[in-house]
Amino acid sequence: MMNRREFIKVSAVASLSSLVGGCRPMVRWDRDAYRKTAISQVAILEAKSYDASLEDIIRRGIHLFKLDLKGKRIILKPNLVEFDPKGVINTHPAVIEAAIGSFRSLGAREVVVAEGPGHRRDSEYLLTASGIYDVIKEHRVRYVDLNTDDVRLTKLRSSFTNLTEMYLPETLFNADLLVSMPKLKTHHWAGVTLSLKNMFGVVPGSVYGWPKNALHWAGIDGSILDINSSLPIPQFAIVDGIVGMEGNGPLQGQAKQSGVLVLGDDLVAVDAISARLMMIEPRKIEYLEIAGGFLGNISHDRIELVGERLERFQQNYRVMENFQELKVLTG
Amino acid sequence: MIDAALALLLEAQNEDGGWSSFKGKRSNTESTSFALLALNALEGDPFDRQKTTGLKWLLQHQKDDGSWSFNDAAKQSSWTTPIAALALMSFRDQRQHALRAAKWILTQEGRKPGWVASLLVRLSVIKKMTELDPYLSGWSWTAGAFSWVEPTSYSLMALKKLKRSLVGTNCEERVRQGEMLIYDRMCEKGGWNYGNSRVLGEALWPYPDVTAVALIALQDRGTNKANQTSLRALDTLMRETPSGTALGWGILCLSLYKQDVDEWKKILVRNFEKTKFLGETKAVALSLLAFGNGASLFRV
Repeated sequence: MMNRREFIKVSAVASLSSLVGGCRPMVRWDRDAYRKTAISQVAILEAKSYDASLEDIIRRGIHLFKLDLKGKRIILKPNLVEFDPKGVINTHPAVIEAAIGSFRSLGAREVVVAEGPGHRRDSEYLLTASGIYDVIKEHRVRYVDLNTDDVRLTKLRSSFTNLTEMYLPETLFNADLLVSMPKLKTHHWAGVTLSLKNMFGVVPGSVYGWPKNALHWAGIDGSILDINSSLPIPQFAIVDGIVGMEGNGPLQGQAKQSGVLVLGDDLVAVDAISARLMMIEPRKIEYLEIAGGFLGNISHDRIELVGERLERFQQNYRVMENFQELKVLTG
Repeated sequence: MIDAALALLLEAQNEDGGWSSFKGKRSNTESTSFALLALNALEGDPFDRQKTTGLKWLLQHQKDDGSWSFNDAAKQSSWTTPIAALALMSFRDQRQHALRAAKWILTQEGRKPGWVASLLVRLSVIKKMTELDPYLSGWSWTAGAFSWVEPTSYSLMALKKLKRSLVGTNCEERVRQGEMLIYDRMCEKGGWNYGNSRVLGEALWPYPDVTAVALIALQDRGTNKANQTSLRALDTLMRETPSGTALGWGILCLSLYKQDVDEWKKILVRNFEKTKFLGETKAVALSLLAFGNGASLFRV
């Protein structure tokens, strides 16, 4: 009998059949989707708890990347897919609050919090229950529900699904920087859910449903790649690894104290380092391995770590039984 | 609260007559439909101008095949069609347009597993992933996708309200299948979430809004044990999730099941003071429906 990992592979092949059936090798991304640089920087920063001086830490981290933030509109995209009072599903509000303060103090004209939750339609509940409502109210930050935002049909810059176009929220087109703020988590379908997977949440539910099932049929790995290759503005990532989630993520795993934030402007490199922090081999995450071919750097020798050493925060995050092969780090 | 919520709703109407999910955005079918339902549920039939222009927006956006897209930018026919049909039925003289919508709804069906997935189902892999019957036929959010609880519930509400005009169609069979699908997706201790009761052997939790919507769709099966279990679950869920959407749907549902809702209305008022329901058109409209004659508009 096939196990789940094998099933996912078969499903991926089925959904990506156009990629395996051809007679000639295909380049599956447009030239303007190619974002790899010679070297990518990733910052690993210690943050022992949510009570730490997170704004100072994040500001210091952002500063390392010399981003031009003066007069810019910044979108913070946390992970608010669901809420469980007993769990650690969401990006912690203290991290969001710190990011708001950091970007403002570095000259941003406006900071917006935006999310298109994948399961629940009730934004008011998700915001109030998660504690994010208090943060945006206190700091007078605008919240945009990306699920019901105005949309724009956008040509995809890669073809890892059978889709050629995708609706994206108008809010993205009116901003300067999209900051993916995922939780450091394992994921029972995709292996890990980090800054690239978090972008599933920018896709509007009003068009793709709750869950965004039309994209599941198109293939989860392929959709992650097509979404990330086609985002209309530059991206940055701040991964909340202060308390991560191991095991049956993204919803029902266990909390894992890790005391770390990971920042960077190459989302592939950020995710590769974050995976290694969980002692998961990034090259074995299908979408991450492919993303390493054009969207950013995945190889350890192409990533310059700034801040703390990787080994200091590396922890053995448990994965579901059928993902055990991800746990063999190849360096 | 009613006056404040009503003011929010009226201020949010766009110049084109429609409503958006949040003030200042493009008009869409779902928000316009809920706004019209809310205005039609108010005592004394006020706000004629707003209702006329809103109705005009809705009728202008109905496609030749009877369906609606979400809005002008997302052009494909959508899950909002049964909600628009419900809104049209809240007017005295729009039944024919609602009937066209119902006929389109009957042509739609959630996707079932293809041959690869069917093979895997037989190998019982999928059952371990999501313990549901993938061959039951309901309605999807978007064409070519799987059936889910909320769009199936909206379709059932519209079809059940129009069933007398749909004699000779496959309405009865589709309703029966849709009901089976909803019951199949019920969570372990009652109630519904988006449509998965278990994933990888772990039970998932229900949501109050979806639970209320499903129970409204199944109101003519009210004595069913699953309905009664889910009604009890709804009470707990509404206490844990006092949002405008959850309480609005919850009150409408409990009213249809002839339960006392006075306490819930007080909680709704208190929570409106705190968040104004983010100014979301649907949540504001649902709260007005909960206070007005809204339940009657969802009675099948």
